[in-house]
Amino acid sequence: MMTSVATPPMSRYVEKPPRPKRGSGFWAYMTAGVALAIVFIVPIVWSVLRSFQPERLSSSAPQSADFTQMSLTNYSSVSHGTYNILQNLANSLIASIGTAVLAAVIAGLAGYGLAKFKFRGSGIVFSVILVGMMIPFQVILTPLYIELSRLHLINSLLGLVLVYTTYNLPFCVFIMRNSFAAVPNEMMESARVDGAGMFYTLTHVVRPLVVPGLATAAMYAFLMAWTDLLEAMTFIQTNSVLTLPPRLYNITTSTYGALNTSYLASGIVISMIPCVILYLSLQRYYVQGLVSGAVKG
Amino acid sequence: MTTTSAIDDAAAPSRTSKSGRANGKVRRSAQSRRAARTGALLVSPAMIFVLVFVLFPLGFAVYISLTNWPLIGSYHYVGVSNYSELVHDSDFLQSITFTLLYTVIVTPAIFIVGYGLAALLRANRAGAKLFRTAFFLPYVIGLTTVSYMFEIELQPTSGGVDFLLSKLGLASASKTWTVHYGSALLAVCVIVTWFASGMTMLILTGGMQGISRDVYEAAEVDGATWWDKEWRITLPLLRRSIALSLVISIIGSFLAFNQFYILASNNPKLQTVVEWIYSTAFAKFEVGYATAGAMFLVVIVAAITALQLVLLRNTEE
Repeated sequence: MMTSVATPPMSRYVEKPPRPKRGSGFWAYMTAGVALAIVFIVPIVWSVLRSFQPERLSSSAPQSADFTQMSLTNYSSVSHGTYNILQNLANSLIASIGTAVLAAVIAGLAGYGLAKFKFRGSGIVFSVILVGMMIPFQVILTPLYIELSRLHLINSLLGLVLVYTTYNLPFCVFIMRNSFAAVPNEMMESARVDGAGMFYTLTHVVRPLVVPGLATAAMYAFLMAWTDLLEAMTFIQTNSVLTLPPRLYNITTSTYGALNTSYLASGIVISMIPCVILYLSLQRYYVQGLVSGAVKG
Repeated sequence: MTTTSAIDDAAAPSRTSKSGRANGKVRRSAQSRRAARTGALLVSPAMIFVLVFVLFPLGFAVYISLTNWPLIGSYHYVGVSNYSELVHDSDFLQSITFTLLYTVIVTPAIFIVGYGLAALLRANRAGAKLFRTAFFLPYVIGLTTVSYMFEIELQPTSGGVDFLLSKLGLASASKTWTVHYGSALLAVCVIVTWFASGMTMLILTGGMQGISRDVYEAAEVDGATWWDKEWRITLPLLRRSIALSLVISIIGSFLAFNQFYILASNNPKLQTVVEWIYSTAFAKFEVGYATAGAMFLVVIVAAITALQLVLLRNTEE
């Protein structure tokens, strides 16, 4: 009796949620948040609107904010004729998806090996991967170029995918090692005791636990490849093999000195689309991967 | 094929170590040898990639830097003459000075804005998630695309920047931003701060979430002001996250290429080290010389990264 009477008010006191305060502090916070959000979003929205603006308006003075005459002309001109970028868009997709798949598979294997097997030299492997993290590709651009040309991998999307994959590995291996380390050994063992084969265990017991890590690794590799400019323009010289970012650079500089605003504007929006879609749909993985990979790396 | 056999081996060692103890030492060590082989097999593809495309080129770079390697044609060993020439090369020295100046300006800017954003959203009040998404959006799009965006908007008269500034009465409507040294540097710094502060925000937010509310409440009881709390609680407890965000910004700035190549390549005074390497190797075809210049960058970047590893290890609680 005593306890049943005494307990409810106690627990109610403890569990009482803090009431949200909406005083002047809250409104100051809201104002600052909205104002900053405008600063961060408006340039992006603006450039999307730009892409629907006819060249005549986007390159002339007083009407730069005139978005009343929208059209799809820019998009049709980048998909036909001299400044056709459809091939480059396809190249970018091939290179980015190839990099994402290859990096996720190789990092997945390595992460599994590093997290679940004790073997001599695993410390060395990890140090080598750390060294890989310390050497950015920018500083070994010249030997890489010579190496790739000897391997006949210049002007080749395969060569680009191999290089992109390598420079994504340190981060991706890190993510995958943490993912596999989080899978309890007992779990894999009890599945085995219950008669599950190792393949079944991996696909049905382990997989759900490492899929977030794999998604994170693949997404980062995809985005790195998708937004790269320097490697693509160094290792690829033919317009028809170029990925989108360096192709856009060539388009902007090849129009007799004057910037071709409308071609570029539609190219920008096409480049943004996969980034924004991936971010908004996989935001949780994006942030987690960034924080865990970065903080511990 | 490799994968499947590796998986079969995976649980074997742990199983024998518990249920197969009676089998004795010999069997167990055979099992652990098998596990070791599997482990090595699993990491070997990653190792091959790093060896072939990072470590080999790195060693190769040292060799190239001691030659007069042209892009096409024969070459010979020249000793350290590339290095001694670099020390007197005003273009190279200017690119180093400029990259340093850029790093010194943009790193604190990104940090201060990123810290402000993280502090604003720390309490996770209504809308914080949405704001965070918005602040990080420029980073998601990538620096290449962001640079293209501002290439359009920094155009004199037709660009959005001039339009906005003239509407606010802050500048004439036809400023040629990217031609002049000061305005081009200012423009790139503002753009990169806008681009990268979301990243710093996220790293700091991760650190801030690890600080218990109780610490702040105790400080409030003792009559601490907002500034006291930031200075004496948040900053010291965020050491790791702060160091990390600074290192990322510093290395990123040292390796700057896209933003200057796209926005300011018409001004040779705004040339970064990576731009110098690229143009020396692939426009002037002096690959050996360019590689010697790149070795300076290897040393700087490796030193910063190593310093980060040491610092973060020491501050670990």
